[in-house]
Amino acid sequence: MTDSNSQVSQTRRRWFPIRGKISLLSSILISIASVLFLFATWWFVTRGEIVEQRIVGPFALPSPAETFATFSDLWFDQQLTRNTLTTLRRVVLGFSLAAVVGIPLGILAGSFPPVKSLLAPLILFGRNIPIAALVPLTYFFFGVAEMQKVLFIFLACVAFVIADTTTSISNVGQQYLDTAYTLGSNRWQAITRVLVPLAMPGLFDSLRLLFGLAFGYIMLAESIKLGGETGGLGNLINAAQKRGLRTQIYLIILIIPIVAFLIDRVLFAIQRGLFPHKYGGGGWLLVIVRDIAHRIGDVKSMFFRPTPPYDQLTLEGIAAAERLDGGTSDDGRGHE
Amino acid sequence: MVEPPMTGEAMSDDPDAQPGNKPVVEFAGVSKSYNAGQTNEFTAIKDVTFTVHDKPGHGEFVGVLGPSGCGKSTILKLIAGLEPQHPPTTGTVSVHGRPVTGPGADRGMVFQDYTSFDHRTVLDNVTFGLECHGVSRKIREELGRHWIDQVGLNVATDQHKFPHELSGGMRQRVAIARSLILRPKVILMDEPFGALDPQTRLNMQDLLVKLWRNVEATVFFVTHSVEEAVYLGDRVYVLSASPGRLVHQVDVEPPHRPAALMQREEQFRDTVYHVNDLIAAEEAARVADSE
Ligand SMILES: Nc1ncnc2c1ncn2[C@@H]1O[C@H](COP(=O)(O)OP(=O)(O)OP(=O)(O)O)[C@@H](O)[C@H]1O
Ligand SMILES: [Mg+2]
Repeated sequence: MTDSNSQVSQTRRRWFPIRGKISLLSSILISIASVLFLFATWWFVTRGEIVEQRIVGPFALPSPAETFATFSDLWFDQQLTRNTLTTLRRVVLGFSLAAVVGIPLGILAGSFPPVKSLLAPLILFGRNIPIAALVPLTYFFFGVAEMQKVLFIFLACVAFVIADTTTSISNVGQQYLDTAYTLGSNRWQAITRVLVPLAMPGLFDSLRLLFGLAFGYIMLAESIKLGGETGGLGNLINAAQKRGLRTQIYLIILIIPIVAFLIDRVLFAIQRGLFPHKYGGGGWLLVIVRDIAHRIGDVKSMFFRPTPPYDQLTLEGIAAAERLDGGTSDDGRGHE
Repeated sequence: MVEPPMTGEAMSDDPDAQPGNKPVVEFAGVSKSYNAGQTNEFTAIKDVTFTVHDKPGHGEFVGVLGPSGCGKSTILKLIAGLEPQHPPTTGTVSVHGRPVTGPGADRGMVFQDYTSFDHRTVLDNVTFGLECHGVSRKIREELGRHWIDQVGLNVATDQHKFPHELSGGMRQRVAIARSLILRPKVILMDEPFGALDPQTRLNMQDLLVKLWRNVEATVFFVTHSVEEAVYLGDRVYVLSASPGRLVHQVDVEPPHRPAALMQREEQFRDTVYHVNDLIAAEEAARVADSE
């Protein structure tokens, strides 16, 4: 090996450390550069006043300037905000419905093998059905009203929600269940206090991914035209297509990932707050959730007596025991 | 430490149980085969028989030694009543004269892997068992803080931490507090200090001796360290290689001095060498057998 060789590998290691860390600033700068590069390419292939001289014709791809010139039309005349919110509402409703139905079923399937076998055909079917084929079917069943869009999202997602929940529950280590049992938990408590909370980080991760997919599915339902105008981003694309406005289609295509990204960031912030053991931080949401759980437990304990022998515990008894222990608790502390 | 939170009588679900009357733990001809009846059937332990009696006011501390895979965890989980180890393929496992039918809070267990519940604070981890038994929050948190202090953690700074903010040693302290707060009659410890550094390990041994004196439970302590077993134990069980059989029961001197001191004494070293010889002889016999 020559000197110059090791110099090269030094440089490589500095710029491309395998799984190494780079600073936030350089990471942002690199990302901005990548966006700029794309726009520059876009500009380059669509430049020139005389449209015949462009590398890509304006019919297929308008130039950036032409595209952004139609923004105000999209914003005011086509009511971009309202349509975006319409689309969002449909996805959120359909997805929430899928979660409300799918998560409990998945918890049951993950906990009890017979339920898993019972649901297995349904999951297999639901996951492999071509999503696009569902659109006309939901139309036959539910017409073209809001209901159809929401139920389309529900149908497209629910099998995945069940499957992902089942997997997350199955992935919780047996040693946690064993621990719960040796601490006297019953089966119901083992599920609600151990299995479900410990499965949550994994479950939340896959639901976040699925939500992104659902956001793509809704375009399908909105842009396949089966009746009157029903609003939503997919409908906007359809309208622009009809009016021959390529520019607006490209604008909407640019806007959708931005909206999806923003939603994803919000979901990720929630995730960070809920699972400090996975993402670090103080877990402010987890603290709130635990507090609510405590309060519910407090109400419950007003109605139920502890099971023997633990119904003998009193505050006075504990205080007496502590006084007697007084001096013995200092050794063994502070060694770690 | 005495009993006020709960009387010894109340802890026993057997009203006739007299101290020293029925054995605390009894194995009668216990064998365990995993996947029984299938092609991958595997016999983990074979014909294990032993009895641990309750010494009044002083539980017995049993160290369990044996080569890897000989069935030590299997024995502990049989006592705990955990599946798939429970039920035994043949023989009976009894605790306080009754066959084990499943897990319960009267038999606490501390595992080698850190099994703290990640979504609960230290205090909520320690009070988990009491919560499951419906003890009100006020009482269980009071007792929880008491036990956090007992295992040498700092109540003020540690009680609201989450497990991922703790060191390995601190997590095992939480696991011990979580188990002892329920005042189990039998404590099963499966290499609880296996992942700790030597100094922390000595500290934890001393802590365990101190706590055990107070709770007066019968302890089964699995370890790969002969020193640890000989130091902590009143008695040491040596198991043969797989399928595990109980080949030696050695009575040893109980731990009445700090671990770091006692483990340097000549008499202690002699006992360790003796147990080491037993294990080596067992190993030699096994090798001779298979040739
Ligand atoms: N659930 C199971 N199914 C099938 N075989 C098992 C199961 N659990 C343990 N075994 C086998 O039984 C034998 C004894 O296992 P066990 O875990 O009791 O050993 P051990 O003495 O605790 O070992 P170690 O010291 O490595 O922890 C091992 O050979 C193991 O492969
Ligand atoms: Mg083991």
